Amino acid sequence: MLGPARLFRRLRSLLTTRREDAELDEELRFHLEMEARQRERGGLSRADAERAARQAFGGAQHRDGARDARGVRPIEDFAQDLRVGLRGILRQRTYAVVAIATLAVGIGATTALWAAVYRALIQPFPFEQPDRIVTLWQDDVRTPGRRIEVAPGNFFDWQARSRSFAQFAAAEPYGFDWIGADGPVSFGVALVTKDFFPLQALRPLLGRAFLPEEFEPGRNSVVVLAERTWRTAFGSDSGIVGRTLTLDSVPRTVVGVMSEDAMRPYAAEMWAPKIFRPEERQYRSSGFWQVVARLAPGVTLEQAQAEMRGIASQLAVEYPATNRNGTVAVVPLRDAVVGTGRRTLLVLFGAVGFVLLIACVNVANLQLAESVRRQRELAIRTAIGAGHGRLIRQLLTECLLVASLGAAAGLVVANWGIAAIRTFAPAELWLLQRLEFDTPALLFAGLLGVIAAAAVAVMPMVAAGRIRLADSLAAGRRSGSTGRQARRANRALVVAEVALALVLMVGAGLLLRSLASVLNAERGYRTDGLVVASVQTWSYYPTPQLRAEFVRHTEEQLAALPGVERVGMTSALPLSWPIGLERVRVSVEGRSVASSDELPLVRTTAATGGYFDAMRIPLLRGRVFDVTDMAGSTPVAIVNASFARQHFGDENPIGKRLTLGFMGPPTAREIVGVVGDTRHEGLQASPAPGVFLPHAQAPTGATHLVVRVGGDPAAFQRVVRAELTAINGVMPLSDLTTMDARLSDSLRQRRFQLGLLSAFSAIALLLAAIGIYGVMSRVTSERTHEIGVRLAVGADRAAVRMMVLRSSGTLALAGIAIGTALALGLTRSMRGMLHGVSSLDPVTYVAAAAVLLAVAVVASWVPAWRASAVDPVVALRND
Amino acid sequence: MGSQPTDRLQGTLDLLILRVLRTGRQHGWGISQLIQQVSRDVLLVNQGSLYPALRRLEERGWIAARWGTSDNNRRARFYELTAAGRRQLADETASWESFVLAVSRVLQTA
Repeated sequence: MLGPARLFRRLRSLLTTRREDAELDEELRFHLEMEARQRERGGLSRADAERAARQAFGGAQHRDGARDARGVRPIEDFAQDLRVGLRGILRQRTYAVVAIATLAVGIGATTALWAAVYRALIQPFPFEQPDRIVTLWQDDVRTPGRRIEVAPGNFFDWQARSRSFAQFAAAEPYGFDWIGADGPVSFGVALVTKDFFPLQALRPLLGRAFLPEEFEPGRNSVVVLAERTWRTAFGSDSGIVGRTLTLDSVPRTVVGVMSEDAMRPYAAEMWAPKIFRPEERQYRSSGFWQVVARLAPGVTLEQAQAEMRGIASQLAVEYPATNRNGTVAVVPLRDAVVGTGRRTLLVLFGAVGFVLLIACVNVANLQLAESVRRQRELAIRTAIGAGHGRLIRQLLTECLLVASLGAAAGLVVANWGIAAIRTFAPAELWLLQRLEFDTPALLFAGLLGVIAAAAVAVMPMVAAGRIRLADSLAAGRRSGSTGRQARRANRALVVAEVALALVLMVGAGLLLRSLASVLNAERGYRTDGLVVASVQTWSYYPTPQLRAEFVRHTEEQLAALPGVERVGMTSALPLSWPIGLERVRVSVEGRSVASSDELPLVRTTAATGGYFDAMRIPLLRGRVFDVTDMAGSTPVAIVNASFARQHFGDENPIGKRLTLGFMGPPTAREIVGVVGDTRHEGLQASPAPGVFLPHAQAPTGATHLVVRVGGDPAAFQRVVRAELTAINGVMPLSDLTTMDARLSDSLRQRRFQLGLLSAFSAIALLLAAIGIYGVMSRVTSERTHEIGVRLAVGADRAAVRMMVLRSSGTLALAGIAIGTALALGLTRSMRGMLHGVSSLDPVTYVAAAAVLLAVAVVASWVPAWRASAVDPVVALRND
Repeated sequence: MGSQPTDRLQGTLDLLILRVLRTGRQHGWGISQLIQQVSRDVLLVNQGSLYPALRRLEERGWIAARWGTSDNNRRARFYELTAAGRRQLADETASWESFVLAVSRVLQTA
């Protein structure tokens, strides 16, 4: 039993620990001084006397001093630190494995994303003075920023009137059909102007680029292959230069192969010289050229932009019919290439930085717990003479060891990450398809290793800084103030971890809800069970009659195949690039407008009646096209619900007439049916008014055959290919896929963002769970005595369990509160990536908070259960 | 309180400290010097055990400490016996003497 006086003294000594420590230090210094004085009196010099006194006291400082004098001490010490560190790591295997794996994930993921950011946003393009290269686009003053491709007439005027550019080049999308060993193939071609290759100033891989005279009619039967085409279609044939290929039935000579560095507009597989036709100079209404230019020396981007804006306003006056609202956007090459991918990359890079931060926090936490646990060891080493600086170096060496092993393992993770990014990168970030693990990535990983080591080392240094001589001597006193402070730091780190994890989870949650909103949006058609085959019939069926007959015959043949439910044809397929849709001006009978300029531009598609059935686009009124809608019969049209609503309101549009020109002069057509709206350009694009014409009356060569089958459409592709080859053995299939695959492609960028951010937040959640578990186990094991007392005086075991859960819940809630504030600010940067959900979406925030809280409770369940299972007798005897 | 069993070796140092302090207040270094001198250099007190022992005795209330000035005008912490300490010294001395007697009996007869 404690007497009241003793209890008072003990309490006072608990409360005055720090002052007592200082007092003891002073007392010991006094002792040493007296000892030294005595020796001095015995005849020693002052310095010798002091050293002798210290030697008598502990002995070790003296040895440290002696070795210091030899100058080799740092090396010996480092070797010893390393040895001790390694031994320590081997001894605490669980700690080491968790710490190294955590850092490896953090460093690896960050390095992989850094490599992507560097490749797409920083690494200079391999052209000469790449920052002087710009792209030029048509723009509309009413809707700036849309960056429309350039019409030939405008290109010529821009080139002739501008002074800002040293070189000026354009590329036009084209296609060459070629019959290879495996059957007919269609190559994507860019027809380029004279300056296209000189502007890039690249050395060809093989052969040469085009000569100036090859841009004259009659001498243009030459092509340059892209490296990938040369490798895949021509087996890297080193004798390819000089070979003649029959492309579109014309013999053309391969004069060179360009490396993957070269610009490939429209994802071209080869380049050919562009020969101008005189009438092209008049084309101003529809743009399909990509224009690239090099700024003249001394001209800034702003000057060039200003000059082009001036030229555009001249053209607006000269050609009001086409250029009235036109302007020009001068866009740096990097922006044109990366586009909205920049935001995706930066948001993801920020997110992965959070993962790294959490990883560091976790390892710092582990390290802190470790160093507190090892305080006795450190104290002993202090007592037997290790200098304070030496101890800190020892701890630093250990952190460095853990961090460098983590960074080394991180390189492996980074390599996987880079491979994954290469595979899953969305089309608009095509620069990433050639992502590699290179020197910048390696340097970055090294830098992260050093930063992580420093971050991790700060904690134990703080702890070590508080280990004093006194502690080694104060027998029976455990970790005193150091432990308390470490615990506070521990808790703060867990709160930080939870906060960071919440931000990532909110980000991933918002993307998930966006994807769900895109997927759940009413599309207006079904994508399952459909095979899609695309052909360009223009050159194989040169007349309208032949093309109409090809479609009729092919539909019939495909429909006769066993397993086929319905076949249809359209000139523009939803979710597909090239969009292939035509917008034409449509006038509705009975409605007058001032000029033809003000007629609405309406998406117009040629289709057959089977298309609506096969795609399951609902017929709302009237009928779909049938065999009676022939070239010579009454011109008819079907409109969609948006068109009907916009132009006829509640009136029945059937029997009304509209006038439009499609594949011919404007013709009046009778509306025979109304079909449901479809999301055509993308799942997030709202349905727009549209008109359908029977293919027989609008026989375009852009032909997409949709085949609804009973079984697996992927497996049925082979059958469709065989049938089409049987119908025409030389016409290449430009595409053969399933509609589900098209859907999935259209979601690629969303999936890329979502996939990476979900992976990051899953890692963050796991790390936070480990952090909470670690801290709660430590806290409860330290409170074993207190819990024993509570149990001994009759506390309920469930209450003890609740006490532990509550304290971890408090930490989690603090983290959630801070994280919510952070997320509210940070998710603003994601706005352009979201769809159908606000960045402040309460459902996402609540769900993320609930998951984190649940994880906190689960992670502290084991410590809580262990605490409630404490045996009071054992716990009290332990003290 | 006085009958609390004390570990023998630890108790010996405690006994010596209490005994030295009976002659008057003294600082830690003085205590160690006195023990060494009186025992004619047979008993050398290690500082690593002296100061914890002083703390222990202080905590038990047998000695009291206060800061004062040493002979050479340095601030030093002086210890002195409390009333409880005097009682404890008497008890410890008696128990030590019976212990010595017991040991010498064993040595003589065995």
